[in-house]
Amino acid sequence: MSKFRGNRNKRGKPVVGDKAKETLENMDEDNPVLVMFRQYSTELDNKHDRYERIVKLSRDVTIEAKRIIFLLHNTNTDIESKKKSIIEEAENRLQTLVESNFKTIAKELHNQDAYQYHRAYTAGLQEFIEALTFCQFLKNTSIESWANIDKLLKYRDDELGEYNLLFPQYDFILGIADFTGELMRRCINTLGVGNVEECFKLCDFVRHINTGFLGLISPGNKEISRKAYVLRQSLAKMELVCYNIQIRGTEIPKHMLISVIESSDVNPDDDEGFF
Amino acid sequence: MDVSNPIVADIFSPFQEYINSEQDVREEIRKIMKDVEKPLREITTILQVIHHDQSLEKMHAACLKARETFENVRNGYAALNKIVPPGQYYRYNDHWRYATQRLCFLAALIVFLEKGILINKETTAQILGVDDKANICLDLEDYLMGLLNLASELARYAVNSVTYGDYERPLQISKFVAELNAGFRLLNLKNDSLRKRFDALKYDVKKIEEVVYDLSIRGLVHSPNTSEPVNV
Repeated sequence: MSKFRGNRNKRGKPVVGDKAKETLENMDEDNPVLVMFRQYSTELDNKHDRYERIVKLSRDVTIEAKRIIFLLHNTNTDIESKKKSIIEEAENRLQTLVESNFKTIAKELHNQDAYQYHRAYTAGLQEFIEALTFCQFLKNTSIESWANIDKLLKYRDDELGEYNLLFPQYDFILGIADFTGELMRRCINTLGVGNVEECFKLCDFVRHINTGFLGLISPGNKEISRKAYVLRQSLAKMELVCYNIQIRGTEIPKHMLISVIESSDVNPDDDEGFF
Repeated sequence: MDVSNPIVADIFSPFQEYINSEQDVREEIRKIMKDVEKPLREITTILQVIHHDQSLEKMHAACLKARETFENVRNGYAALNKIVPPGQYYRYNDHWRYATQRLCFLAALIVFLEKGILINKETTAQILGVDDKANICLDLEDYLMGLLNLASELARYAVNSVTYGDYERPLQISKFVAELNAGFRLLNLKNDSLRKRFDALKYDVKKIEEVVYDLSIRGLVHSPNTSEPVNV
């Protein structure tokens, strides 16, 4: 408003903003329109504030989940006890996220239409799923179903009774797609320490996931097709690694295979993330 | 799907079921929205009469007809209320957001034509038939979007009123839109579509004021009490 009035004056034309100005000046505080809008303003602010609070919580989840993933990559070692303690630490930190940030988000969403705020925390949730499935995989070489993870996000306390965090299956699947990127990195890294068998195992697992994505009928979500595309690229890299191991494994020492493969077109760095 | 693959069986099969049931709901919603969009178009057409005929009777007849047609809209939303699962309004609201915004605009236009006042959210919800429903409601931002659309329509209406010799109407519109503008300035808008749409409101205000200005410099505006030309 004030901006446009300013513009008009500059051009030296007659000030046609006078009528509006006059109306504004004559409007008293009890003007029904203003009373109405003041109420809408509160409502809108509440919504935006809640949204921002959730975004912040979600951003912290993302950061922590990325750190956990980084930590989990350190399990690439032959020392069983070290591996075990790292996984334990990761599990604890994941559990802390469930009990702190996600619980707070769930509280924010209690008695709200959670879908209205879902976009505020979907990124954190997906990153969390990525870390969680990675951790599960390293521990049990398998990952849990959506229903089991959904159970983690159910809460109960004296204040609110039973409540849960909305966890759409889309976020689960998208998190899994990201998780395959970690498997790809892991595959290259294990090769670095000469653990060839692990490479084949990882590659096989990602193949299964890829099959799952290929079998989906009309997911109707652009994000899914984009991530499935990235997944196929990761898989291609892993398959190339396996191929190289097989064909050249007899020629050179295993720990040198990594340099052979890295000098070919495998580039573990082009995915987003940490390594 | 391949059940020998545990990933597919445990992870992707449930996901496919999830997608399928969601698609079914969306299909139902699309069907219902077709039934809402038809009266929406009819009402839009009916109310266009204000731009080429200034007789009050015709305008009132149009408002009446529009209000009757809203009955079909209400039926549509009642059906929608049955389809949308509890607490999932915002999961599917892409399907009806645009139509709802247009209907808010139309309801606001009717009330303006009938009474010259700004419709509130509650009344709008009643006219659309989304009040007191378990699973659907009127989103505040959709309603506000409707009001901004109203301002654009009124800018056009102001111009056309002059063409048809109604020199009082632009004054009423000018005051009305100025108040609306003042109201919107109380809101803290985020950098979203509503904000963008609000930024365009000033052009409507400007257009209306230019009409008022043109009338006033030619002495065509009479204050209602004195019927003397006034300086606006």
